[in-house]
Amino acid sequence: MDVTRRGFLKLTGLSVVALAAGVGIDPAAAQAKGYTLKIDGCQKIPSICHFCSGGCGMLLYVKEGKLIHLEGDPDHPTNEGTLCPKGASLGAVAYSPQRVVKPRRRAPGAKDWEEITWEDALDRVAEKVKEVRDATWLSSEETPDAKSGHSISYTVNRAEGIAFLGSAEVDNEESYLISKFCRVLGVPYNEHQARI
Amino acid sequence: MSPSFGRGAMTNSWSDLQNAEVFLVAGSNCAENHPIAMRWINRAKAKGAKMIVVDPRFTRTASKADVFAQIRPGTDIAYLGAIINYVIVNKLYDEEYVLNYTNALLKVNRDYRFDEGLFSGFDIKSRKYGVDSWSYQLGPDQKPLTAASLEDPDSVFAKLKAHYSRYSFETAEKITGIPAQTIELIAETFAKRKPGTILYALGMTQHTTAVQGIRAYAIIQLLLGNIGKAGGGVNALRGEPNVQGSTDMANLFNNLPGYLPAPISTDKNLQDYAARNGSIQVKPLVSLLKAWYGENATKANDYAFDYLPKINPAMNATMVKMFELMEKGQFKLLFNMGSNSLVSIANRQLVRSALTKLDMMVVSDLFEVETAQFWREPGVNPSEIKTEVIMFPAAFVYEKAGSLTNSSRWIQWKEAAIKPLGEAKPDLDLLDALFKRIRRLYAGSAAAKDAPILKARWDYGEEPSALKVLQELNGYDETSGKLLPTLADYLKAPVGDVSTGCWIYAGVTGNGNLAARRNNTDPSHLGLFNNWSFAWPANIRILYNRASCDVDGQPVDPRRKLVWWDSAKSLWLGNDGPDVVDKTKGPKTPEGKQSFRMNPEGLGRLFAAKYTSGLPAAPPANGQPVIGIRPAGLCVDGPLPEFYEPTESPTENLLHAQVSASPTALVPSAFPEIQKKGKAEDFPYVLTTYGVVEQFCAGGVTRNIPWLNELMPEPFAEMSRNLAAKIGVREGDKVEVSSARGKVTVRCLVTDRLQTYKVNGRETETIGMPWSWGFASLSPGPSTNELTIASLDPGAGTPETKVCLVNVRRA
Repeated sequence: MDVTRRGFLKLTGLSVVALAAGVGIDPAAAQAKGYTLKIDGCQKIPSICHFCSGGCGMLLYVKEGKLIHLEGDPDHPTNEGTLCPKGASLGAVAYSPQRVVKPRRRAPGAKDWEEITWEDALDRVAEKVKEVRDATWLSSEETPDAKSGHSISYTVNRAEGIAFLGSAEVDNEESYLISKFCRVLGVPYNEHQARI
Repeated sequence: MSPSFGRGAMTNSWSDLQNAEVFLVAGSNCAENHPIAMRWINRAKAKGAKMIVVDPRFTRTASKADVFAQIRPGTDIAYLGAIINYVIVNKLYDEEYVLNYTNALLKVNRDYRFDEGLFSGFDIKSRKYGVDSWSYQLGPDQKPLTAASLEDPDSVFAKLKAHYSRYSFETAEKITGIPAQTIELIAETFAKRKPGTILYALGMTQHTTAVQGIRAYAIIQLLLGNIGKAGGGVNALRGEPNVQGSTDMANLFNNLPGYLPAPISTDKNLQDYAARNGSIQVKPLVSLLKAWYGENATKANDYAFDYLPKINPAMNATMVKMFELMEKGQFKLLFNMGSNSLVSIANRQLVRSALTKLDMMVVSDLFEVETAQFWREPGVNPSEIKTEVIMFPAAFVYEKAGSLTNSSRWIQWKEAAIKPLGEAKPDLDLLDALFKRIRRLYAGSAAAKDAPILKARWDYGEEPSALKVLQELNGYDETSGKLLPTLADYLKAPVGDVSTGCWIYAGVTGNGNLAARRNNTDPSHLGLFNNWSFAWPANIRILYNRASCDVDGQPVDPRRKLVWWDSAKSLWLGNDGPDVVDKTKGPKTPEGKQSFRMNPEGLGRLFAAKYTSGLPAAPPANGQPVIGIRPAGLCVDGPLPEFYEPTESPTENLLHAQVSASPTALVPSAFPEIQKKGKAEDFPYVLTTYGVVEQFCAGGVTRNIPWLNELMPEPFAEMSRNLAAKIGVREGDKVEVSSARGKVTVRCLVTDRLQTYKVNGRETETIGMPWSWGFASLSPGPSTNELTIASLDPGAGTPETKVCLVNVRRA
């Protein structure tokens, strides 16, 4: 059965009426009393689930910039409105009290974090990149020649002291910029969890 | 997969699973870890398809199987070899397919040997193979010689037949613990129904023989003619939301975006790079350099080839090895963006120690994952750890615009639905801000080493736009500044006239942002959904689909027509985009015959031979390097899959006791205090690790979601009733599980899902443990990777997380 978004809502609407009639609730009366659904007036914004590689579609219900509800996207051809327990729980990340919401710094030897501004944190990191890059720069390297066995010096242009673990959990554009950022700095040591 | 088919990607798609008549799900518990797969498998089952599940446990996926076999972890190649043998001996292979679309008829170099567990060319000192004998007999035109029939003893097919003749069902039973008649039932069920598809995940890849296990799948599917067809394929169920994309983008030390080999130190220039990697790689590399350096990459300066860092050919910096380099003190600064190595890496003790060797670690994440606070893991003294840590708050998937590439290679775009929480920002913004700052610090420098930073093209706006980045991936005509409309436009442009950040993504934004398409119609009813998002390459939904046609270019399966040659129009047409060299070249032409155009032979590779197409008949007289067109992908551990025991094994290799484990596996030994190896007399049980539906990977997100923690609060050790009785524990009791590397205490789960089995006549037990826990989060728990061994596959660098030896006792 091909179910469009509108058709899906019609279907569920019908079944709500049928169900409500069965248990003695009158939706019309509820509406008259001023009760509204929490998703009333929400904008529906499609997104993609962030767990396995299924790429299931999610529909986010957003009102006044706030995420109100999240469910499977019925128009998405892969999941057709369904979500697994993990995917269905993803709304909980938006306002989780466990989220890190400000940059923080742990000083060498410290037992705890301290707050730091974005500006200061970016400055510290940028300066550290320059310091390590300059100190560990390897412009050429001796490599034995396959035929003669003699060592020959080759240009390698590598920053030896910097490593970058990227992620299979960030967007393509971010993964790409990680690759580009590293290689432009001369860092080949760019890996991520696809290996493991 | 790439040494077999030419591309390292799942061949088919989620919605294509509905087209299969038989499934072999082995190395994947998709009902829990890729639940959406089951939606499409169930649809096929409702139409009569059969499902075979092979797994160390009777999983939730197994509960839906028509045939289930419990296997000893790490022994897959033994039973897969027996299936290959059965298919060959009983002539169940698709003869037309094998003759026309595989390298079965090509003649193998007469120096090629396989004796007593070793292929020809093994160097005992380096524990590496020289691969010269794994080649073809070449004619004067430098092309492989073709045998007259499959019976020719020099043919690939004859080598395959001889190699797997040692793999009887009975031998496979002794190795795997699966009864011989069950293996025969699996072989018969899978070989006699078409199309058949194979699904796997980390259960196949987290082994020292990871690549070879997948090669065995590829051989079975090529023999049966199941590649390139709706309902067929070898389907790698990728573990994370963008692992296909992040691999395409080459967050890998030995690649550049679009699967380009990274240049090595001996590549002095583009010409040397071409000599080593084939002329086919020149254009994508130059296009990448144009994307990175724009007008500063010119023919005159070798397209800024010198700006790229060159890796040392002897260097191995795959992820686990990178922590060894860190432990040795090489790195002062680590960026850690969206991963949790302290939980996810086998033998995690090395990670814990290596992170203390850094001056600074920069983390970007949603939550304070274990890795971010390694300096205060219980039992660690923070004052002794001098690593400075800077943590940035990251934005979540729906708080930022961008695209993710799923297992079906669909590049799916999403807009930001809400603003990031607090001061969180997308990693795109972090990278952009950092790069701009670093560039400012280098402003005015005349040093050669700083030129790449100062001359890079880096222009994504004041606030970086993800769409601009995706457009860079798509590529531009550099002469006009216009976006490349399609992959074909990229392919026909002269070298140096176009830029692409990732050439396989060409076309994704060429005619509007096709990744954002939401047309879910499916006129062919084959689950292709051609107008939903965009699939790389060139919106092809099923890779190698030329192979779904006969030699005349007509579909062999009238119910599942993907592409066909239209002789009236002289054009390849189809329900899917034709995966052919040139749409105007007919099925009988050299181009039109090729079903596997990314391989130098144009064929599927049963035998992963060393071969480069387009080599000149004689070396150039002027002393210039010899440059061929396209070299084949190789497996460093052999041209054919061979069964080897895991690094830690309860038994000896029955096929060749002298070479029991893989001779080329990278067994960690640099840090003997951390990287210990156990013996069966001390650690008699086999541990396998797995995931559960309620928690995800290293748990960084899911262990901070209360609903999920209520469903699955803590890790456990799953064991058979026999083993529980033997050590005197009941369900829910605490047990201590120990390996040579460490120990953890968890509750035990006593179940029928694991049964005692016989290996080489001896009773053997497998213990199963989920691995998603660590010391932080709302629901902390012991990390299973305290126990596992970081032996690596020599090609892919995946650790053998799925098998190690342990002991268990009541805690």
